[in-house]
Amino acid sequence: MSNYIPTIGIEVHVELKTNTKIFSPSRNGYGMSANTLVNEIDLGYPGTLPLINREVLNIAIKAAKVLHCNIRKEMHFDRKNYFYPDNPKNYQITQARTPIGYDGYVEIEVDGKIKKIEIEEMHIEEDTCKSAHRKNVTLLDFNRAGVPLIEIVTKPCINSSKEAMLYIEKLRETLLYANISDCKIEEGSMRCDCNVSIRKSEDSPFGTKVEVKNIGSISNVGLSVEKEIVRQTELYDKGESFKEQTRRFDSKLNDTVLMRIKETGNDYRYFPEPDIPYVYLTDEMINKVTSTIPLLPDERRELYKGRNISKINIEKIIANKSLSDFLNNFLEEKIDFQVASNLLLGDISSYLNKEGKIITDTMLDNERFIDLVNRSSTRELTSKNIKEILVDLLESDKTLDEIIKDKGINNINDESVVKDIVLQVLAENEESVRDYLEGHDRALKYLMGQVMKISKGSADPLLASDLLKEFLDKKK
Amino acid sequence: MSRYLDKSILEINELLKQKKIRSIDLVNECFERIEENEELNAFITLNKEEALREAQALDDMEVDNVLFGIPIAIKDNILTRNLRTTCASHMLDNFIPIYDATVVTKIKEKHMIIIGKTNMDEFAMGSTSRTSYFGAPHNPWNTNKITGGSSGGSAACVSANLVPFALGSDTGGSIRQPASYCGIVGMKPTYGRVSRYGLVAFASSLDQIGTMTKTVYDNALLLNAISGIDLNDLTSADREVEDFTRKIGEDISGMKIAVPNYFMSDIVSNEIREKIESVIDVLKESGCKIDYIDIKYLENAVSLYQIIAMGEASSNLARFDGIRYGFSKENPSDIEDLYYGSREEGFGEEVKRRIMVGSYLLSGDNAKKYYDKALSIRSDIRTSFLKAFENYDLIVGPTTTTTAYDIDSDMSDPLKTFMDDVLVIPVNMAGLPGLNLPIGFSKDNMPIGMHIIGNSFDEATIYKLASFLEKKLNLDLCPKGGNSYE
Repeated sequence: MSNYIPTIGIEVHVELKTNTKIFSPSRNGYGMSANTLVNEIDLGYPGTLPLINREVLNIAIKAAKVLHCNIRKEMHFDRKNYFYPDNPKNYQITQARTPIGYDGYVEIEVDGKIKKIEIEEMHIEEDTCKSAHRKNVTLLDFNRAGVPLIEIVTKPCINSSKEAMLYIEKLRETLLYANISDCKIEEGSMRCDCNVSIRKSEDSPFGTKVEVKNIGSISNVGLSVEKEIVRQTELYDKGESFKEQTRRFDSKLNDTVLMRIKETGNDYRYFPEPDIPYVYLTDEMINKVTSTIPLLPDERRELYKGRNISKINIEKIIANKSLSDFLNNFLEEKIDFQVASNLLLGDISSYLNKEGKIITDTMLDNERFIDLVNRSSTRELTSKNIKEILVDLLESDKTLDEIIKDKGINNINDESVVKDIVLQVLAENEESVRDYLEGHDRALKYLMGQVMKISKGSADPLLASDLLKEFLDKKK
Repeated sequence: MSRYLDKSILEINELLKQKKIRSIDLVNECFERIEENEELNAFITLNKEEALREAQALDDMEVDNVLFGIPIAIKDNILTRNLRTTCASHMLDNFIPIYDATVVTKIKEKHMIIIGKTNMDEFAMGSTSRTSYFGAPHNPWNTNKITGGSSGGSAACVSANLVPFALGSDTGGSIRQPASYCGIVGMKPTYGRVSRYGLVAFASSLDQIGTMTKTVYDNALLLNAISGIDLNDLTSADREVEDFTRKIGEDISGMKIAVPNYFMSDIVSNEIREKIESVIDVLKESGCKIDYIDIKYLENAVSLYQIIAMGEASSNLARFDGIRYGFSKENPSDIEDLYYGSREEGFGEEVKRRIMVGSYLLSGDNAKKYYDKALSIRSDIRTSFLKAFENYDLIVGPTTTTTAYDIDSDMSDPLKTFMDDVLVIPVNMAGLPGLNLPIGFSKDNMPIGMHIIGNSFDEATIYKLASFLEKKLNLDLCPKGGNSYE
């Protein structure tokens, strides 16, 4: 198989988290009974006119900002005309000529190098109905009709499936953190279309473009790009050519499947939407929105790095926005952040996953978390202790001292007390001491067990094991 | 039979206040007259039961405004909740709206009584009302003549005194031209003055709902009731609600009035030009300063109109697909069949012609070549009008080039219908207010109208001049053909 250079451009649609729809006062909600969030505007009734949801403008400004786009201050909407049952007016209100954002970028890290994925433009538009195809009928749910979307279009500057996936991951993370969309690919609140072509060299003209639509997960983005590259390479190698086409990714076949050949360029008969006057954005509006942008993932990475959290933990924390938000409450405290991140990612995450909660659903407050981190880093509390007290800590407002008392936890970490116990054990188990000295490491475990037995499990295990080794080594 | 509807609105209001008559008397009188004049075919749907019920309910209420209890007819492209709204199309002949247009809500707030929905050109596309799926309405002045259109039914029912008030819509002259043919007062307000919410869109950037009445004063009263910003219509203007009657009765001497040369060129029949000249003489005698001026691009208005109106219409009418409402082909084999079948059968010829031409005009590069260009010249037309208004209070001319013609005349030339509107279309292009005032009759006793154009949002000055002329000319505007209320 020959080597070709892939050229990939990606279009991403995300649904915006607004209270109401973009052009009507109907509620914007997911998972409701079909056709309950609907009024005459959403149904495309005769005589209806679109309204403008200012919330959408603000979120779109925010999106343009976090994607480093220029913002167009004078813009209008356009009608994209096409017949389809999920398109209530048989035209979609979008921005064809004056997208709100243009010339932006998203940074990804590929093999240790930073690459800027250039954003051609991003625009505001309305979502269509959701259709469900049954045997002989198609059912339409208008709850989704008019949900605000932004579409983000890259330049054809992506060159591998890896870059494609990294871009989508980074985009998703950024939009999620900026509170623009919940970006749930499985629920359709984030949808990706990839345009893939290949060519012989940097100097050759672009190859024929294939669009792969509605890919259901980030890994399938990578897969569909890979499969396309292979498919196109094989065709070119056989000396065959193909027509510009639209395909979809079939996750059962694990391959792309032809939907339709693009005979001529699509003719959407765009023209300026006469029902919506020009929209003017002021610096004041833009500044106000900009000031509400929360810390973005890359900014958080820097902060965590400065607090000596391991790279693995940083990525795991970033992958869970609610944990990251929680951790950010303590950034100015003098605590051991690696311990804090271990606690969050370890026992606390296990609890949350089991209970199907996020951290803000629990009773855990800042003060008690700091207390927990400190007692953990000084080894006042062992990991076993933490498992014991965690449920109470997360489900009640008791102080750590109260919980420790309730649980009867009485750790012996007074070195002289532990030393006495260790010496007692060594004196009572001469045989095991001999075994150890003869090289049987297993004997140490037994001796350690005796220490815990005498201390009724409350001796600090690290301290006990250190002391045991110290005295045994002296006997060598 | 009672004769209350021949009285002025102020007189009727007084009688209602004194409880000498009841709203239901007026409503009954309307339906009697409508039934007597059925051959006019002015209505598509009558609202008799509901109108009588509503009028009855007004008995116990205080007469709180001058329009209280007065009957009104609504053009059938304005949505009325629970009352069939067809746009004179087979496509919507079973369509019962689930909401009221904003103007209808306002009318109901005034406790006016909706008598019925008036006949019109299908989807307001035409200038004769002959494209109606329900057959053409007839001109009360001569039932062998057209009413004009597209608001032909509204013009006919007011002209024949069947109903004192009617609402129409005007995209390229559809209020003023039939008002002229039928001898009534018809106002197309400034674009944005009246909410379009609930008006079935033909050409969104041109459509405007307006008022059709017997007299100038009544017209201003009705405009008072339906004007104002509407949060449901982003193109409605944020202007204070004013009293449009306030300048009526003021002295007109010293007013500066322009007459565009194009409006008085040989595109207009001699008879009409002479009549307009005679009214201009009256204005001069009354102290107005009259100048004949050139307004640039007027002669391009019809071409621009065709591009903009048909382009927008092709998109606006796309929603009629047989899926959610309206006519739907039975047992379609697939989605394409549903689309083609429903639209093929549901729409009439003129509507389909305009959708096709409009689609072509927006297709591919044509959008830039035609639509964008048309929008740009359109803004030049507006500029040249506004320039004229720097020096003049009003612009006048004839409303139509001829009087109403025969109802069975040839309608195979699709361009003819646009040329009927050559004098009124420029006003839609410029978004300005324009009014038709009856000023006399032709030799064959058909009404002739004067077109009075005002500056943006200056309807009040139009009413001032129109009311002056109305009084001065003192015409008998009761059609003699087919009506005998005298």
